[in-house]
Amino acid sequence: MGELFGIFQGLADGFGIAFSLNNLLFALLGALLGTMVGILPGLGPSATISLLLPLSFKIGSPVSSIIMMAGIFYGAMYGGSTTSILVNIPGEAASVVTCIDGYQMAKKGRAGPALGIAAIGSFIAGTIGVIGLTFVAPPLAEFALSFGPPEYFSLTLLGLLMATLIGGDSVVKGLIMVVAGLLMGSVGLDPISGAIRFTWGIHMLQEGIDFVTMAMGLFGIGEILFNLERVLKTNLVTQKITHLWPGLKDWADSKWAIIRGSFIGFFIGILPGGGAVISSLASYAVEKKVSKNPQEFGKGAIQGVAGPESANNAAASASFIPLLTLGIPGNAAIAMIFAALLIQGVTPGPFLISEKPDIFWGVIASMYIGNAMLLILNLPLVGVWVQLLRVPYSILAPVIVLFCCVGVYSARNSAFDIWVMGVFGVIGYFLRKLDFEAGPMILAFVLGPILENGLRQSLLMSAGSPLIFITRPISGSLIAILVFFILTQVVYRLTWKKPGAPSGC
Amino acid sequence: MAKWNKIAGCVLFCIGAVTAWSAATTLSMGSFRHPGAGFLPFGLACILSLLSLPLVFGAGKETGRAAAFWPERAWARPLQGSLALFAYAFVLGLLGFVLTTFLFMIGWTRFMERLSWQKVLFVSAGVTAGLYLVFVWFLGVPVPVGFWKQ
Repeated sequence: MGELFGIFQGLADGFGIAFSLNNLLFALLGALLGTMVGILPGLGPSATISLLLPLSFKIGSPVSSIIMMAGIFYGAMYGGSTTSILVNIPGEAASVVTCIDGYQMAKKGRAGPALGIAAIGSFIAGTIGVIGLTFVAPPLAEFALSFGPPEYFSLTLLGLLMATLIGGDSVVKGLIMVVAGLLMGSVGLDPISGAIRFTWGIHMLQEGIDFVTMAMGLFGIGEILFNLERVLKTNLVTQKITHLWPGLKDWADSKWAIIRGSFIGFFIGILPGGGAVISSLASYAVEKKVSKNPQEFGKGAIQGVAGPESANNAAASASFIPLLTLGIPGNAAIAMIFAALLIQGVTPGPFLISEKPDIFWGVIASMYIGNAMLLILNLPLVGVWVQLLRVPYSILAPVIVLFCCVGVYSARNSAFDIWVMGVFGVIGYFLRKLDFEAGPMILAFVLGPILENGLRQSLLMSAGSPLIFITRPISGSLIAILVFFILTQVVYRLTWKKPGAPSGC
Repeated sequence: MAKWNKIAGCVLFCIGAVTAWSAATTLSMGSFRHPGAGFLPFGLACILSLLSLPLVFGAGKETGRAAAFWPERAWARPLQGSLALFAYAFVLGLLGFVLTTFLFMIGWTRFMERLSWQKVLFVSAGVTAGLYLVFVWFLGVPVPVGFWKQ
């Protein structure tokens, strides 16, 4: 009872912080900017957040900065679904399923209900996700207080491997990305001994590779270079968008899809690795299974939009749970928020709730507000977003490149960083060409120090015995989950046959 | 694609080998009891080299007709884009933010995208002004002024 009271007290304080005019404005700005950039074809949430990271650093207060980042994250998710529905270009894997039925609905003149149900479903699911976050995070953070270096090592390893195995098609390429990310994270000063590692005589590398520069290069520039190869044809649905508020039949068809999607998304979203992707796929599969008219799927079934859109928003909220309670980001987009917190001098983890309650509860409260803002703002603004989709890529591409250049320059006032970003951009381009996913690399890059400290301190504690990871109950359980997960993946990959690509996208 | 996977595998193998060699020769490895600064990086670099072997030896074999890696000179525009970016970084300090941004936009929209001069000048001026407003006026970023300073 006392704990419950503490949660309500914390949430009330959080609303006090989030409702300040300043923070409301930052939440609004974040949601608008996130939607604006996220709506651009080919730019998913990770690219959007990486593009907007430097902006958030210009805000003095860490609470406001993180509130804006959360708004950007939500906005980017929302923007991505609009592009999927209207242009049939998924911003990222999580939106692929949305464009199957969403675009078909738009082609039949039902873009309004598709956008409306996506927004309303996202709002409901996002709110359910934040309610779950409100009540799950505090006890989980308390539980995580008992974690020592072995537990952190095992947890990080579990998170990284799950993200890799769930996320991509090729396990080998995923693992290579993880190892490369960990190695890149080790550049600079060794936090334990103070030794300088892999700087190759470049003075600027002593502080390590700058995360913002790397993320903007890999996701922002890499994406633009990749898209430059082909002329991005935006088959924008040109009919006037009407009836954004779904009719009674649409409601009846989609209400249970929204509820199911919310819960599927929440539970999958807590797990590390591709939460939004898997949850939207799982939700689509479930909806098709339970539907009385499964043959309608792929031809414009509203449940095919409502379920996955709800699921990926609930997963987005849920993915804040491991970040805020354990200090372990579960995917690339959350890894960027993790890095932004670190740059602001805030270390996410079990102590956050007790040491920085203003940030913990302020962010949670702002997520309730951000969700509502997105619904209230985006439906009336859909006409503006459509206009943005009309801007040709020939103009958007150089603007995005310039945005990255000035953004990365502004972080340290250094033109050298633009060079480094360019190099990462070229690397990102080749990674895309060769089907290597940059997400696990970014995740490994930010988790590298936690993994290394956990490993080295654990070995010091156990006088060199790796059994410490198995004999301690929590760490041992995590390793057991990891082994079980790897075995199920092996069996799954050996027995699963790849279906054909969906017809809609 | 399989050929490019092999090339990627070879590059990754070399990166792993060089990193492992660098970690072993320049950093303290320590022991299992007292792991040093090179302990994990050395292990990771070895794992990287090992993981690249399936790519080198053709785990990514293709079935059916393989699509070209760069069909119809598809490399040209990404190359032009990256060169424009590096040129921007190179002259930013010299020409200053406003002129460099304006010239970058002209270069990209006119020579890469072949837009009309009228459109090019209008868009370039608009984008330069917009970015100046957002970054310099609104966010207070101290952008380089270039030779205008004198």
